Amino acid sequence: MNPHALIRRCFSAVAALALAAGALAVAAPGAAAQEEDTDTLRIATNQEVDTFNPFKRRFVITYETSMMTYETLVRMSAENYEPVPGLATEWEESADGLTWTFKIREGATWSDGEPLTADDVAYTYGLLIENQAIRDWNIDFAQNLVSAEATDESTFVLTLASPAPAEVLSREVYIVPEHIWSEYPDPSADDANQLPLVGSGPFQVTEYKTDEFIRLEANEDYWEGAPGFDEVVYDYYVETDAAVAALEAGEVNIVGNGMQGALNPAQIDALKSQEHVTTNDVQGRRYVSLTINHGTVTKDGTEFGDGHPALKDPFVRQALHMAIDKQALVDTVLDGSGEPATSLIPSIFEQWHWDGGDKLVQFDLAEANRLLDEAGYARGADGIRTMPGGGEPLNFRFYHHADNTAYATIVEFATEWWAELGIAVEAQAIEQGTLNDLAYLGEFDIAFSGWGVGPNPTEQLGMHTCAVLPTLTDGSERSSENSYCNATFDELHEQQKVESDPGARAELVKLQQEMLYTETPVIWLYYQNVMEAYNHDRVTGMTPQPAGGMVTGQQGFTWSYYTAQPAGTAEDGGVPMGVWIAVAAAAVAVAAAAVVFVMRRKKTVDERE
Amino acid sequence: MTERSLPADGASLEAPSAGRGRVSSGFGRYLFKHVSGAAVSLLLVLFSSFFIFRLIAGDPIDQLTKERPVSAEQRAAMRAELGLDRPLWQQFWDYIAGTLTMDLGESFQYRRPIFDLIVERLPATLLLSGTGMVLAVLLGFWIGTRSGWKQGSRFDKGHVATGLVLYSAPTFWLGMIVILIFARYLGLFPVNGMRSPSTPPDFWSQAVDIGHHLVLPVLTYTAVVYAGYLMIMRSSILDELGSDYLTTARAKGLRDDEVRQRHAVPNALLPTVTLVFLALGSVVNGSIVTETVFSWPGLGTLFVNSIFYPDRPVLQALFVLFSSSTILAVLCAEILYWFIDPRIRRS
Repeated sequence: MNPHALIRRCFSAVAALALAAGALAVAAPGAAAQEEDTDTLRIATNQEVDTFNPFKRRFVITYETSMMTYETLVRMSAENYEPVPGLATEWEESADGLTWTFKIREGATWSDGEPLTADDVAYTYGLLIENQAIRDWNIDFAQNLVSAEATDESTFVLTLASPAPAEVLSREVYIVPEHIWSEYPDPSADDANQLPLVGSGPFQVTEYKTDEFIRLEANEDYWEGAPGFDEVVYDYYVETDAAVAALEAGEVNIVGNGMQGALNPAQIDALKSQEHVTTNDVQGRRYVSLTINHGTVTKDGTEFGDGHPALKDPFVRQALHMAIDKQALVDTVLDGSGEPATSLIPSIFEQWHWDGGDKLVQFDLAEANRLLDEAGYARGADGIRTMPGGGEPLNFRFYHHADNTAYATIVEFATEWWAELGIAVEAQAIEQGTLNDLAYLGEFDIAFSGWGVGPNPTEQLGMHTCAVLPTLTDGSERSSENSYCNATFDELHEQQKVESDPGARAELVKLQQEMLYTETPVIWLYYQNVMEAYNHDRVTGMTPQPAGGMVTGQQGFTWSYYTAQPAGTAEDGGVPMGVWIAVAAAAVAVAAAAVVFVMRRKKTVDERE
Repeated sequence: MTERSLPADGASLEAPSAGRGRVSSGFGRYLFKHVSGAAVSLLLVLFSSFFIFRLIAGDPIDQLTKERPVSAEQRAAMRAELGLDRPLWQQFWDYIAGTLTMDLGESFQYRRPIFDLIVERLPATLLLSGTGMVLAVLLGFWIGTRSGWKQGSRFDKGHVATGLVLYSAPTFWLGMIVILIFARYLGLFPVNGMRSPSTPPDFWSQAVDIGHHLVLPVLTYTAVVYAGYLMIMRSSILDELGSDYLTTARAKGLRDDEVRQRHAVPNALLPTVTLVFLALGSVVNGSIVTETVFSWPGLGTLFVNSIFYPDRPVLQALFVLFSSSTILAVLCAEILYWFIDPRIRRS
């Protein structure tokens, strides 16, 4: 045998081995048994599972799986996020606001068939009180809990240290089965990840392959009736473009909130031309804002950071605000998929949103110039204003996230507008981690920020209270959004937290927003729409939240996936016939080629002899 | 850019300049020199990995609590759980001791032991880049041999041009084009992933399903890298073209094909051995972009996800794994060279 033949045979052997071994290794662990005619709702995602433990989850994806697997006492309605009955059919707050009594729904069962009782509820809330790790992870809510007990099969009583009606009704505490969880040595640890999960919700997580898929199977005995689909599968796509192609090809049914950094206007436009796809471009919960360094301080008043002194002056901040055409930003940067922002709470939460009223700042460069003139910021020879009495020019460092092209465009617009005011900016694109570090160290002048706001505004408003100011100057405490601290604001905040009447509470919340708006420690630019798309040939009947709103990214209950109904015929039951035929054809072709090859070699040998 | 770096030629060819010794002790010294060199490289990788990824700014807790306000106490609880509250030297010691005992710690993002994550993904990566590598080497060598043999022919020009165009195409772009044509419009292959969740668990269904998913990524991967092997093999054949032994072979009356296959190719193959070994080293880390485009659940996807997070412990572990597999592959090539290239033994 000559060396060439040897090497060739080695190659063939290695190739065959690599193929066979790889296939074996990957296939051997085996997937769960599947029936041929399963109706599967397939949703694109790219976010990892941090933990299936509902007390410790932080990510959006595990929020969604928790919401499907388990249930809360009180849901958020599909119409407008109002509290509506979930596992509790009714509830009552005592006159002093410290005792809450819930009637637990009869006939609800766990997915393993055991009945769900008030004892399970008491056990769950008890974990928040007694399990140290779970308590720490949820300390903002748990520290206010005094006791949790079941007074009978269907009555649960929760006692608080201080009144917190909004928190009690909107805090999503997922009720877990005591008969399973009490067996865990440590319910705060990964024991809670044992699959299949046992819950009382419409779908339970049964299988998870990292970066491949998460499978949730329908709870056929769900108290409100079995869901329309037999299972929900989250499919992993690293790239949104690939998810879009898969939606077009019919491989995935829904692309939306599950993909972090979801669809962009160009992708939505491309999808609009597809007959089987419905696109949604609806109000979202997210705002984009500019944080202005008006002076970073610690709780005891120590100033730190190196913000520009002019930004301490509210007139300068208001002038900056007045010189931003928010509508133009929405039209150009978002392609119209959003709306100009006023203050902290997006208009999707119409009961909490403050519309600006007669305080609404209009885009007016002349008026902004007048404000600055009056405040004594005279223009220098180069046209740039300086601090009153001469001195430092108004030249601000403007930091934006390097991975966000929309922010880069906004910077270009703002730079031009502010140049009209005689204000110069030094724009700099910075990687997100570094930008956060600088922001919390107070080493910036103007920087981008953005948050998704929840249905309970307390969390977001709380980021602007004196209580969350850092105690250290090293930037390690990151609870305060921008060192805002105002006693009146804090007072309003405490009042709204304990106000049980939604109308009265809304007034307080709007006053808080008005304060933030007029004092301008932050300029809210716009509320960003959610863009999502789904295959209406396969999925119908999804309930949006709020009314006319989104089908992905829902809060407080999985309205859309629960009400979704399969349509048409799914063809993804196992390996398609065509593939088997192709495999057979390939095998025949290879065999034929081998025969031809052998014949030819034989011929050469014959010739040679 | 690991996918397309042409392995440095002759990395292993440096010959010891010392005087001649007996063969056995010569091998001992040769072995010692290269093994100790590799060991030093491994140590450097181990140490630098810890510090490199600490240069990525930002507090890991920010990522963990993204888009959700948390109190100082909650941050502290998370910090303690991730071991971030420990002094740096202690974290460093844990990392070194852990890596040496295969306890790589826990991922921030996945909240699972990193060792498990890697073991879980290794087969997927080996399957994709192993298959792709074998195909690329075979294809590259086959075309390279014929191109070099008939230098300047239409076959040669056509293949060199095609190969170089594909070689210069961004993998990412090529992958998306492949998806659009074969998955989106022709519907022949699935867009992403390694298998469909609805495939029955029996071996043959799984194997066929995985094979079905494998086609497009392997196609992309092979298309991008095979030109490297083509060019090396082609120039290697060109070096042999004028040799006397080929004239002798022809003078014996052998057909042109036989002169090429039985005489030219075996000699031309020798210099490419290093190349193949270096390729083996990069099988582990060689398909990062391809995996990303096709959402292939391998080490490349893990690496990309961890960079975006950023998941420092995973990056550390993968950096060590990727570097050490290359170092070990080079070491193997060097040792092998002792046996197949007499010039090294003689020097």
